[in-house]
Amino acid sequence: MKKLLRYTTAMLTLTVSLNVMAAADLEVNTPGVNAIKSSMQARHAQLSAYYASGAVGLTADGMIALRDASAVPMAARQSVNALVAAENQDRGALYAEIANANAHPEWQAEIRSTFGQRWIQRAQPGWWVQSNGGWMQK
Amino acid sequence: MRYLTRICREALILFGMLLICFAARGSELTLTIGDIASPAFRASGIRLALPTDGSAELNIAKLNVDQREFRRVRVRCARFTLSPSQLACRQGRLDAIPDARLEFSYGFATRQLQASLLAPGGESWQVSGQLAESAWQLAVQLRQAQVRRLSFLLPTKMPQISQGALTGVLRLSGDASGMQGAGVDLQLVQTGFSNADGLHAAEKLGGKVSFTAKRTGFVWNWQGNVVWQSGELFWQPLYLTGGHALSGSGSFDGRVINIKQALVQLPGAGQVQLTGLWNVPPASLQEGSLRGSGLDLAALFSTYAQPYLEKGSLSDAALYGHADVAAYYRRGELQSLRLNLHEAGISDASHRYALLGVNSDIDWRLDAASVAVIDFAGGALLGAPIGAGQWRVKMDGLKFEVPQASLQILDGSLNLQDFHLQRAPLPPPCDGCTPAWHWAFSASLLPVSMDKISQTAGWPVMLGTLAARIPKVSYDGHAIKVEGALLFNVFDGTVVATGLELNDAFGRAPRLSGNLAMRNLDLDLLTRTFSFGNMQGRLDADVKKLQLQDWQPLSFEARLYSSAGRYPKKISQKAVQNISSLGGSGAAAAIQRSFLGFFENFGYDSIGWSCIMRNGICQMGGIEGTDGHGSGMYEIVRGGGIPAITVMGYNRSVSWVELTQRLKRVTQGNAKPVVQ
Repeated sequence: MKKLLRYTTAMLTLTVSLNVMAAADLEVNTPGVNAIKSSMQARHAQLSAYYASGAVGLTADGMIALRDASAVPMAARQSVNALVAAENQDRGALYAEIANANAHPEWQAEIRSTFGQRWIQRAQPGWWVQSNGGWMQK
Repeated sequence: MRYLTRICREALILFGMLLICFAARGSELTLTIGDIASPAFRASGIRLALPTDGSAELNIAKLNVDQREFRRVRVRCARFTLSPSQLACRQGRLDAIPDARLEFSYGFATRQLQASLLAPGGESWQVSGQLAESAWQLAVQLRQAQVRRLSFLLPTKMPQISQGALTGVLRLSGDASGMQGAGVDLQLVQTGFSNADGLHAAEKLGGKVSFTAKRTGFVWNWQGNVVWQSGELFWQPLYLTGGHALSGSGSFDGRVINIKQALVQLPGAGQVQLTGLWNVPPASLQEGSLRGSGLDLAALFSTYAQPYLEKGSLSDAALYGHADVAAYYRRGELQSLRLNLHEAGISDASHRYALLGVNSDIDWRLDAASVAVIDFAGGALLGAPIGAGQWRVKMDGLKFEVPQASLQILDGSLNLQDFHLQRAPLPPPCDGCTPAWHWAFSASLLPVSMDKISQTAGWPVMLGTLAARIPKVSYDGHAIKVEGALLFNVFDGTVVATGLELNDAFGRAPRLSGNLAMRNLDLDLLTRTFSFGNMQGRLDADVKKLQLQDWQPLSFEARLYSSAGRYPKKISQKAVQNISSLGGSGAAAAIQRSFLGFFENFGYDSIGWSCIMRNGICQMGGIEGTDGHGSGMYEIVRGGGIPAITVMGYNRSVSWVELTQRLKRVTQGNAKPVVQ
């Protein structure tokens, strides 16, 4: 009986937290979010070729990773590395900013995870995305 | 080297054991052995067949060398000789390299070893040795030898060699007590390697390696020379190309590599002399020194330092000029640094800061105090030019202090007092509370012309001066805080900023918070500056709980109102129209329109406007106490004198973006307001 009660409580807590997350405004519009979005949009033009070639892939945790540097000419690997680092810095800042703008900094991990799924769903055919811990091509 | 010798000697032992365990079967002699194991390798399922035609075939079911495993290794000798005096294989083939011809011989009495592997394309590996236990020597002569054949010698975690050839010689010698000497003289051509993810890779490497080592007692004395002539290397995050060279000499006692002297040639940057003590286990630097003269800072920074600076304000900076450097490292810390800068400079790609023509004589020591003199010819800060200056920096370990310094900015100057910089732990919560650089200073800004500031910033030309007293500015590794009040003298009035705090100062979206109190601003100067339509009078404004993000308003509570006191109060027809038009097409003000056509200017008693901005919406109000006119109306301008005018506001809420766009249209003179 105690076990059942604990299980029910846990489920209720989970449901409540999911409901809370469901209320998060992911399209929130603040100067910070706008600045980060602009920066990411400007960088996307440089990154898209590397998504297409498979050099860069989308990770399950809402970031990107240099998954196959050998698909990039050696002289360009350093700049791709820097692009990936800058993009991940922006993505981290974006998730934090959205959580803060929703007045719930503690939502950051869930927001990151939600975005991770969304980025992967919206990835173009041929791009590489992380799935079940491994890489797969969409 | 010891490893190679051990393999050769153990291979001979293997053959010896095989000779012992043989059995005749039909027309051939078959020798079998179950397992041979040694620290260097392990072989199992060994079978040597000796048909009567004089040939031989050696099969090894499984061969393990280091962490690598080879299966079904087979060597066939068309002519095989085994006599009490000699073991020899002629016209041999190794299955793993089917197009290569293998030959070897060993004289049991003479202890002479000869072996060769010849492959198409002129590739040859020739081993010759005298393996007498009292004094042995081994020489390996290589010609166009494919480097990938040595992959089995490399740990599996290391990048795998894909191509390349070696030409040269490797010599080893020793006696019963072990190896006594080694020498390498090799030329590397078109060599490439890569690990699985391509983060450690090289292509078309070419160069020369020469190295000799001689043992005296327990100590090896060595000297070497590596010249990297061509090709490219990516060792995340560094990308380097040929042109580097390294030469050096030292000793090795089995625990510590002593680099007595080394010279590194860095293409485009200069050359650096190194010394050091490297602990082999646990792979750490015990002590080291570095010295270089006339180093080119641009090449040095962009090639070797910047790739490691993915974050922070230096990640998109460029350095110029030259430097002489002498540094000494010991016990995990930098102990001293002598840095002489010659016409050096730094500039940020985002044009946030620049410092040029820097000359310095810095002699820093971890355990002693000293003073550095830094001269600079000029620079820029947030687009504003900075004049020449000289800073004297007191240094005591990781504490730096500038008691007094001056920066010439435009036609004024920023005088700094008590600048302190030190490394200390971040206050919690923080990233592991690792130490970060903290700084603090107080300053005063002697008057700078507003017209120069506004020209520099690309604003409308403003009149007046900007002056400030800054009691204390501090940075704790996370936020820049201004303690006390910042005082600006603008538009013949004052602006006092309090509670200023800048978070994430070097991040993508810096966040500024604080309060502003403006007093007695001259409306004539203000409205002329912004082409708003002339107004005369004095204005006070309070902006409380101001939050800017990425320098855009996030939220605030603002209130503008006429200053107390007696002064002329006039408002032009154009200003009235502009104020009205700010209400938008659906929010026209109620204006005594009958007067408009006759008079250019009107009298007023007071002005008032408020905006509480939250979530992009501005909740507006007018002169305090003027609510209650019904329908949400409020007074923005209350008439007074003759002719008088009263401007009413209707709309209570407006999008901040929309409001600022309307304001921009008005001040740019493009507005065509409809006045009723």
